[in-house]
Amino acid sequence: MTNQVFVDSFEKEPSELLPEKHVFNDLGLDSLDTVDLVVALQKKFGVKIRDDERVRSIRSLEDIYRFIDAIQKETEAKP
Amino acid sequence: MKRVWLNLQFYPAFFLFSLVAIPALALSVAALAPFIGHRRAMRRFRRAISWYGWVVINVLPFPLVRVRYEDAGGELPPGGALVVCNHRSTSDPFLMACLPREYVQIVNDWPFRLPVLGFFARCAGYLSVKEMPVDEFYARAGRLLADGVGLIAFPEGTRSASRNVGPFHSSVFRLALQRQVPIVPVCIIGNERIPLRGTGWLDPGVIRVRKLPAILPDEYRAWSPFQLKARVRDRIVAELAAVEGAA
Repeated sequence: MTNQVFVDSFEKEPSELLPEKHVFNDLGLDSLDTVDLVVALQKKFGVKIRDDERVRSIRSLEDIYRFIDAIQKETEAKP
Repeated sequence: MKRVWLNLQFYPAFFLFSLVAIPALALSVAALAPFIGHRRAMRRFRRAISWYGWVVINVLPFPLVRVRYEDAGGELPPGGALVVCNHRSTSDPFLMACLPREYVQIVNDWPFRLPVLGFFARCAGYLSVKEMPVDEFYARAGRLLADGVGLIAFPEGTRSASRNVGPFHSSVFRLALQRQVPIVPVCIIGNERIPLRGTGWLDPGVIRVRKLPAILPDEYRAWSPFQLKARVRDRIVAELAAVEGAA
């Protein structure tokens, strides 16, 4: 599903979206595009991540997968 | 041998010309400024800088470096426009003197740190994406476009020093979407060693500045900033491949 965000919002080919790909250096996003990425991820997964400190340490697609996974687990664990 | 001769010819001429031309141009504009109003004074100042750049890149290294301006894009609609160029060399800002009309360059912070030239870049209202807060950048850039002044951007943010085109930053494309102005892709060809990065040595050669057809707001209005920057970059990359591949 994360990959679908990149396909839909950033016109990336699925074949480009490998876990080790660097969001900035390989996929061509800059800091302003990251804001759009966060909005798209929030919409796709129904989570609030904009103010989460961990967003700043995202570098690769793998980092995004792990982050979204963690957020979803935290959301499910809340009463 | 030609390379040595070129550098022996260019650099003394550059320093001498700058020593004379910069104060002369600055004083001539400053003397007129109280009588002609801020807007006209700024236009004259930018024209003076453009003329200075034109002489530096077209006259001083001639004939071992030749510059060709190619307009493959035709007439632009009146009003402000955003010129977007690939970035290969420190000579790129000087090559912008080939473009018709009045422009302000969007720069990193390093041009402002140059002695003398940096001062005049500031006076001409050049915009620093690194120094300015984002809101101020968009506000000032927007006012310039509304006044009919064009903006020139090198969205790679740094020199590639090769034939490759690096990733583009999206800030100027967001500006274009906000202001709905034509985007004019310009390809700079042949100057990756004029000068050679890290050395300042100039190699003889022909530099081409190739203006492509503008991308008008009607075409890009529905695109996202990322889509817009990717498509403009694709046009520049495709043109460079076509021109340099055929060479």
